[in-house]
Amino acid sequence: MSRPVPVATPLSRPFWDAARRGDLVVPHCPACGLRFLVPEPACPGCMSADWRYVPSAGRGTVYSVTVVHRAPGPGFETPFALAVIDLDEGGTLLSHVDAGDPDDVTIGMRVRVDFRPLTDEITLPYFVPVPGD
Amino acid sequence: MNGRQPVVVGVHATEQALSLPHRDAMGLALEAVRGAIEDAGLTPADVDGAQVDWPGPGGVPGEGSSWARMLGRDLRWTSDSMLDNAGSRGLLKAAAAVRAGFADTVVVGGCKLVSRGAGPVGAGVPLEFADVWGSYVVAQFALVAARHMHQYGTTAHQLAEVAATVRNNGTTNPEAMMYGRGPYTADDVLASRMVATPFHLLDCCIVGEGGAALVVTTAERARDLPHPPVAVLGGGMEYHQAAYANPALYREVGQLGRDAATRAYAMAGIGPQDVDVFSLYDPNSFEIIRQLEILGLCGEGEGGPLAASGAIAVGGKHPVNPDGGCLAYAWNGTQQMTLKVVEAVRQLRGTAVHQVEGAELAVVGNAGSGAQHYEMSVLGRIR
Repeated sequence: MSRPVPVATPLSRPFWDAARRGDLVVPHCPACGLRFLVPEPACPGCMSADWRYVPSAGRGTVYSVTVVHRAPGPGFETPFALAVIDLDEGGTLLSHVDAGDPDDVTIGMRVRVDFRPLTDEITLPYFVPVPGD
Repeated sequence: MNGRQPVVVGVHATEQALSLPHRDAMGLALEAVRGAIEDAGLTPADVDGAQVDWPGPGGVPGEGSSWARMLGRDLRWTSDSMLDNAGSRGLLKAAAAVRAGFADTVVVGGCKLVSRGAGPVGAGVPLEFADVWGSYVVAQFALVAARHMHQYGTTAHQLAEVAATVRNNGTTNPEAMMYGRGPYTADDVLASRMVATPFHLLDCCIVGEGGAALVVTTAERARDLPHPPVAVLGGGMEYHQAAYANPALYREVGQLGRDAATRAYAMAGIGPQDVDVFSLYDPNSFEIIRQLEILGLCGEGEGGPLAASGAIAVGGKHPVNPDGGCLAYAWNGTQQMTLKVVEAVRQLRGTAVHQVEGAELAVVGNAGSGAQHYEMSVLGRIR
């Protein structure tokens, strides 16, 4: 058994297509300026359906982190650092921060995206520490 | 008191256990409904509303009106949704129906077996941006707790004190899944294996099976019923977003429920310091600390020291979960929310296993997913 593989939807397909190319893209609403994740049928700020994906530089800060010792199912190597990342341009996402030792991942740590393929279709945006940033 | 004042007149909890291989969901739901109606001193035909899970077999699974044939009469009020059939949310919807006159007597509750061999509990539906990272219930709550600890200096030891206090209520409650296990000290909690930082195994609730139900009617109808009625004095609900699709962020949901509590207290004409006993969601130790804050018992960030001060013990200033809560009495899926009401009603009747002496006002707090939703009710003894 392997870990659950994301199944792209019409809302998310551009996100996964970009990830496969090594680009992080985030929904952005031109009407109200909000950047948000996960993709929604309309902007959570103003309900406009006219949002577009825009590129992110892939840098951010750890908002919170838990070191998971008991995985929810097969396919995960434990322990791992499950973290919430605030991207610099806006938008917040769940990911893993790979710092070698998961206990070294701290709130406030500066990180950058590090794409790693999971399947032919899905490449995942992991994050790694950026020392000195 | 207004004749249509909604009151709880019957409650029933089935056996609760880590596994009930000799029972099925439908049988447990039937027992819960029969038990609550009998406890109310009523007959099935007295009940004209049913917000109860219908797992089947028989009837139409998921369709609440299946209960009409069991109750032997046409229903005036029903619900098909699992969350509408449990806890404060179910109780408040039933109370609203009774108050408005859509129905006179409503049974709320049920059973849906979720745990048998399930392992760690997840969202129950595939989540594209969460599942792949190994996100599940314990981890999502951990992300909120970790941020609270970072911002306010809340300690793992304070969390462990909460877990030990509530678990020890279950140690001496014969109905509890963990009856006879323990007692535990905070050090025992800290010595148990790590699940997801900051939560050790004993910081986390048990996962088991069982059902529960309650009966709501009018104060007028309750006059000649056997138990002293328990009034639904106030309530409030708050929903940030649907469960787990996005991570629960402390800055967004850390104080979720404060608005619901403020409105519920105002409706009941009371303040938090008037409440004698709290029946609160405890999927882990931290969620109790968070609720002490949103329920107005202390300021934001002050929940850790308050919880660890002895205040939440049965003899303390703000007793929490005298039955042992989800940590030691029972977590059984959705109906653990109803068990919170059952304990509050027993406390106000004066018949609880660990009775808070002279309890006249109780708060029931249900929550979930990190917590991205909160449902609270204020219950009071009618004298």
